[in-house]
Amino acid sequence: MGFVRESFGTAVGLILSLDWEVFSAVRTSVGVALWSIVYSSVLGIPAGVLIGIREFPLKRTVITLLNTLMALPTVVVGLLVYGLISRQGPLGAWGILFTPKAIIIGQTVLAVPIIANYTLSAVRGADNRIISTALTLGASRLQSAFQLTREIRFGVMAAVIAGFGRVISEVGVAMMLGGNIRGYTRTMTTAIALETSKGEFAFGLALGIILMIVALIINLLLNHLQQR
Amino acid sequence: MKHLRNLLLMLILLFNLSLSANAEERLRMSTTTSTENSGLLKVLLPPFEKKYNCIVDVIAVGTGKALKIGETGDVDLVFVHARKLEDKFVADGYGVNRRDVMYNDFVIIGPADDPAAVKEALTAAEALKKIAIKQAIFVSRGDESGTHQKEKEIWQAAGIRPEGKWYQSAGQGMGEVIIMATEERAYTLADRGTFNAFKGSRTNLKILFEGEKGLFNPYGVIAVNPKKYPHVKYDLAIKFIDFVTGPEGQGIIAGYNVNSDPIFFIYGKK
Amino acid sequence: MIPQFNLTSVRKRFGERVVLDVERLLLWSGRLYILTGPNGSGKSTLLSILAFLTKPDHGDLLFSGELVTWAADELSLLRKRVTLLHQFPYLFDGTVFGNVAYGLKVRGIRSEALRRSVDDSLELVGLNGFDERNVGQLSGGETRRVALARALVLNPDILLLDEPLANVDKESADLLERLIAFLPSNGTTVVMSTHDPHQGERLKGEVIRLLDGRVNGIGNYNDKEAQICPPMKMHAI
Repeated sequence: MGFVRESFGTAVGLILSLDWEVFSAVRTSVGVALWSIVYSSVLGIPAGVLIGIREFPLKRTVITLLNTLMALPTVVVGLLVYGLISRQGPLGAWGILFTPKAIIIGQTVLAVPIIANYTLSAVRGADNRIISTALTLGASRLQSAFQLTREIRFGVMAAVIAGFGRVISEVGVAMMLGGNIRGYTRTMTTAIALETSKGEFAFGLALGIILMIVALIINLLLNHLQQR
Repeated sequence: MKHLRNLLLMLILLFNLSLSANAEERLRMSTTTSTENSGLLKVLLPPFEKKYNCIVDVIAVGTGKALKIGETGDVDLVFVHARKLEDKFVADGYGVNRRDVMYNDFVIIGPADDPAAVKEALTAAEALKKIAIKQAIFVSRGDESGTHQKEKEIWQAAGIRPEGKWYQSAGQGMGEVIIMATEERAYTLADRGTFNAFKGSRTNLKILFEGEKGLFNPYGVIAVNPKKYPHVKYDLAIKFIDFVTGPEGQGIIAGYNVNSDPIFFIYGKK
Repeated sequence: MIPQFNLTSVRKRFGERVVLDVERLLLWSGRLYILTGPNGSGKSTLLSILAFLTKPDHGDLLFSGELVTWAADELSLLRKRVTLLHQFPYLFDGTVFGNVAYGLKVRGIRSEALRRSVDDSLELVGLNGFDERNVGQLSGGETRRVALARALVLNPDILLLDEPLANVDKESADLLERLIAFLPSNGTTVVMSTHDPHQGERLKGEVIRLLDGRVNGIGNYNDKEAQICPPMKMHAI
């Protein structure tokens, strides 16, 4: 346990000394996470709303599938996307393996089920008069769906926050698709994995502490947005 | 909603990850975790990058994967230490222009009190045989890496198929395996470079057998075949190969040491 | 003259239960109808169908002589002509202004015209100056009035009201009754449901009685014969 105490000191030291490698890893971590959340929100929020409002055959099956996808191991997602974007794969010509773009794609895949699922939950818990009120006031179906999303925005924000938590903390996708390239695709989590593999537990934990501080700051921001 | 949009814009500006191509060229090289962990690349690459105004992306993974991503054309060159696999890589047409870069050696490390009396062995094969007879815990890389290949060769020379509770196939990198062995006060086969990096602070294991010719660990660099993958940066890869095998690169390699211990050795005169 | 609504063999089922079964019903433009009947008699369902929010399982509905196909884009247009006020109205998060303006915004009305319409509507329901109030701060009666303003501002051809006067304070009730009574003279068709059997008398509307999903009687309140009309004998007024 000695390394736990040591790591706090190391963390402070790294922050104060503006260690370039650490800041690069933080920047990469936050950057890919934010972009993934943007893309996965664009995909996941409408998906959650639509599945929630519409009745369609196999609706139950789709919802169960969505629940299951939330438990996708990150390495599995990494492998699947790897198969797609490796030079051998169908999207190989894009040449994006081992770049931040690849991590963003993988993390988007990870976050979409989470955001969709939590949004769906919010829709199901929403007042069932919202849609009919909007419709009777002359809204189109699309407009009424927008209004519903506005009314449940607290829950939608919670979905986004949950998605962010998942991607900022994951290793499997970042490692597989990014390649842990120093200064380029090395994220906080892959850096921690690397340090741990070298036996540098204190350093690894120090990075972990810094990551948690960054995540805390971002969550404070997101929560502030949620309150509006 | 307006606030959300403004916040997003701000974040995008801050965290623009230059998703479009950079000004400099990027050369992708796969190598092993032990090579990366030795720290050599931190001193070897910058002069090359500066000279040719490029960036070398190092993807450090297990030997098997390092060669695999060369086979799939996802990197431009491969820098590993598994001669048999390297030869196959070239023979199968995936790589061209293989050159020797440097070598280090493997050592058998274990607890200071040496319960299996490895110190008294005259050959590496004998050393492993003693461990097997004593059923002392031996941690194997178990990941088809260069180190693992070497380990398998020695077992074969000793005429033993290692199995049983004492033989632990970890399936992990050299660093993790050294930590495991340290924790369990066990034996393992390690490359000297990684061991030197861990010596003292992260492990209390000692070198109990070394020096045999069979424990030689040569490193080779291979360019991925442009005929197979026209997109690879072949010219830049060749420049790199020339650099590391030329006087400047070799000088850096020979001069690199950790805790005043040299890690790698070059061929020919220094 | 064509009836505004013409229902033939309209049935709606929820699960096993038939909640509405109307053989024939005609409603004419510009009149005030009072829908009475005990709980579960199908009043809300009928209103929902007239609002084009619920599709019947069976039967034909003609609107101004045209058969309603219940296709999505057709409904979008139809719904802009009829507005339903729920028994317990839902106000959207935000301000009173935001709510009352909603239907107008959806119809593309903006800025000055929007502001004027909203203010006029709020004045009509006696909520002058309530623009910036947050909906969370409104009393029950105020909520009802905002919902009514939200509906009235759209000047719909048909206004449907589900129990608009239930559980409302006296002051609001009086205001609402006055407005409802006034609307038909403005050309608006009004159909409101109520528990209160005396409402028909006060409002001088035509009463449609529902029982177990069926029309049990139609007529003016004072029409004794209509009140005891047996289930199968339907009249068109």
